[in-house]
Amino acid sequence: MARIEGGTAALGGGAAASGLITEVVEGKVYALRSLLTLDGRVSAYPGPTRGYSVSNSYLLREPDGAAILDTGYAANEQQVIAQIGSLISKDTPVTIFPLRINEFMSVGNAMAICRDFNVVEAFSPTPDPIKIWINFASIDPATGEPEYLNFKSTRITGLIRHELGRSGKRFIEMFQTPIRLINTTWIWDEETRTLFTSDSFTQVSCDNPNGPWIIDAYDPSDERLSAAFMQSFLLNTRYWWIEGARTETLRRGVEAVFKRYPIETIAPGYGAILRGRALVEQQFGVLDDILRRMDRTRTKAYYVSRDLVR
Amino acid sequence: MHAPFKGPVPLPREIAPGVFWIGGCLTQKFKGREYHGYNAAFIVTGSEASLLVETGHPKDFPAVEDHIRKVMARPGVAPLKHIFITHQETPHSGGLGRVLDKYPGLDIWGDVSDYHLAFPQHAHLLHFMQEGDSIDLGDRKFVAVEPVVRDLRTTWWGFDDKTRTLFPGDGFAYSHYHWDGHCGLVAEEATSLDLADVSAVFAERALYWTTMVDMNLYVDRLVEVMKALDVQVVAPTHGLPVTDLPRTFPKIKDGLLAGDGAYDTTVQDGTKAVVDEYAPRA
Repeated sequence: MARIEGGTAALGGGAAASGLITEVVEGKVYALRSLLTLDGRVSAYPGPTRGYSVSNSYLLREPDGAAILDTGYAANEQQVIAQIGSLISKDTPVTIFPLRINEFMSVGNAMAICRDFNVVEAFSPTPDPIKIWINFASIDPATGEPEYLNFKSTRITGLIRHELGRSGKRFIEMFQTPIRLINTTWIWDEETRTLFTSDSFTQVSCDNPNGPWIIDAYDPSDERLSAAFMQSFLLNTRYWWIEGARTETLRRGVEAVFKRYPIETIAPGYGAILRGRALVEQQFGVLDDILRRMDRTRTKAYYVSRDLVR
Repeated sequence: MHAPFKGPVPLPREIAPGVFWIGGCLTQKFKGREYHGYNAAFIVTGSEASLLVETGHPKDFPAVEDHIRKVMARPGVAPLKHIFITHQETPHSGGLGRVLDKYPGLDIWGDVSDYHLAFPQHAHLLHFMQEGDSIDLGDRKFVAVEPVVRDLRTTWWGFDDKTRTLFPGDGFAYSHYHWDGHCGLVAEEATSLDLADVSAVFAERALYWTTMVDMNLYVDRLVEVMKALDVQVVAPTHGLPVTDLPRTFPKIKDGLLAGDGAYDTTVQDGTKAVVDEYAPRA
C-alpha cells in the first residue's frame, strides 16, 4: 500500500509502492510524488542544480469520479499505478489532464493508467485524438489498438469549466497558461482553492530526498522563495528568453489569473507544494516583479546562447 | 531550379546524397484552415554506419518504421547504429522505445536528459554530447552544433559535415498547406507556400517564446552560425526541407520575424479570456 502523509483519511487498496502520496486537501487532492535525483540529467532543473526534487502528478477525488493531472515518467509506472490504486477503485470514472501534452512527465504513464483504470475522458489543447499522443509502446499489428484507448478526447480552447463527478459541487477551470515555453495548461480547483501550475513555481528542490515537499508559510530566510532564486531558476531552465522580452504581456496574464482566483495552494508539477495565502501572494508577487523588471522597456535584450548560466 | 508541382510526394525522400527524409504530418487547425506540420525524422547513411535523426511522433511510428526499413534495404546502406535526438519533446523523441524495440542496441546521442526517466530500460545506451562532439559514420561525421532557436534548454542541433546539412529540430519550424499538395515537397517546390504566414502559425502553436522576443537577435546569430558551418541544406523536424538557401533563407528570416506580436491576436488562448475579464477597460 502506498504510504499517505499530510492527512488523516483512511485509504485502502493498492499494491506496494515506494513513493509517497501527499494528501494536499483532505479527501480531495492528492499529490502522487516520484523522487527525482538532480544530477544534471533532469531538464526541468538547471544543469548545475544538485539534490532532490519530485515530479508531482495529482489525483482529484470525488465519490463518483476522479481526475488525474499529469501521469508521471514511465520509470515510475508501477509506483504511480499503485498510488492511484490506493485512492480509487478500478471502476471509478477517471478523467486525465496531461498539462503538457508533448512532454514525457505529463504523458509517460497515460497508457498504463488507461489500461488499469476506467479512463472516460482526456483534455488537452491538441485538436487530435489524445490517444495518438500517449502511446510510446509497440503495438502488435495483429491485435490492433486496445479498447481502453476509446475514451473521449476534449480539446481545451479558451477557458473551460468542467464538473468533477456529478454532485454539482466540484468544478475545475482549465486554460492555456499565461507564461509558458510550450503548450501548457493550468487548472483551478474551485472547492480546494488550488491552482495546478505544471512547470511554473517548480523551483523548490531539496537537499534531502525526504523533503519537506510541502511548504506552509513564507520564510524570508529560505532563499528558494526569493526573487533572486526564482529569477535564476527561470533564466536557467525554460525562460532563458525573458530578459528584454515583451514580458508585460506575460505579466498581465499572470496578474489576471491571480486576481481571478483566490488561490490558497500552488500545486506545481515538480518540487514542493506551496500552501497558504501569504505564501501564494509572496510567490506571485516575486514572479510579477521579475516579469516587470525583465520587460523590454526596462531590460536590454540580447542573444542567449544555450549554456549561459545566470 | 525546382519546377513547381503538386504533391504529395511519398517518403522516404533523399534530400541530399545519403540524407533521407522520413516521418509524417500532423494537422494544425488555425483560423478555420487545416494546416499540416511535419514531425519528420531523417536517416544519414555513412560508409560504416547510419544514423537516425529524431524518432518521429508516436502516431507516426508505423510510417517511420516502414521508411527506415525501405532506406535500410537500399544497396550499400550501412547498418543503423546511432540515434541523435534534438530534444525531449515527444514529437521528436516519443518513438525512441519503439525504434529500439525494432533495432535493439542503437546508441542514443544528444543531450539525453530525462530519457532515463522516460525509457529506463534503455538508459545504458544514452550518451551526452557537448557542442562540437561528433559521431563517426565512416566517410562523414555528424556533429552537435549550436541550437540558435530551441524549444527546451536541452536542445542540440545536428550537422552532417559531408553534405553540410543542418538538422535544426524546432528551428525552421513552419506549417505547410495540405490542401495545396505540399506534403513531401521541399520548400522550393511548394511555390504557393507563404513562409511568413506559416511560420507565424507554427510560432503561435509551438514556439510561443519567439512571439515575445526581439527575433532580430536570434536571426542575426542564425545567419552567423549558418555561415560558419557553410550550411547547404536544412532538414527541419517540422518545416519542409530547404535545398536552395539563397532562394529560401530570406523568406525563412522574414517568417521568423513575422511572429512578433502574434500573441495578442491569439484567439485560442484561455488566458486571453482571463485577461479580457480583468484587464482595465479603455
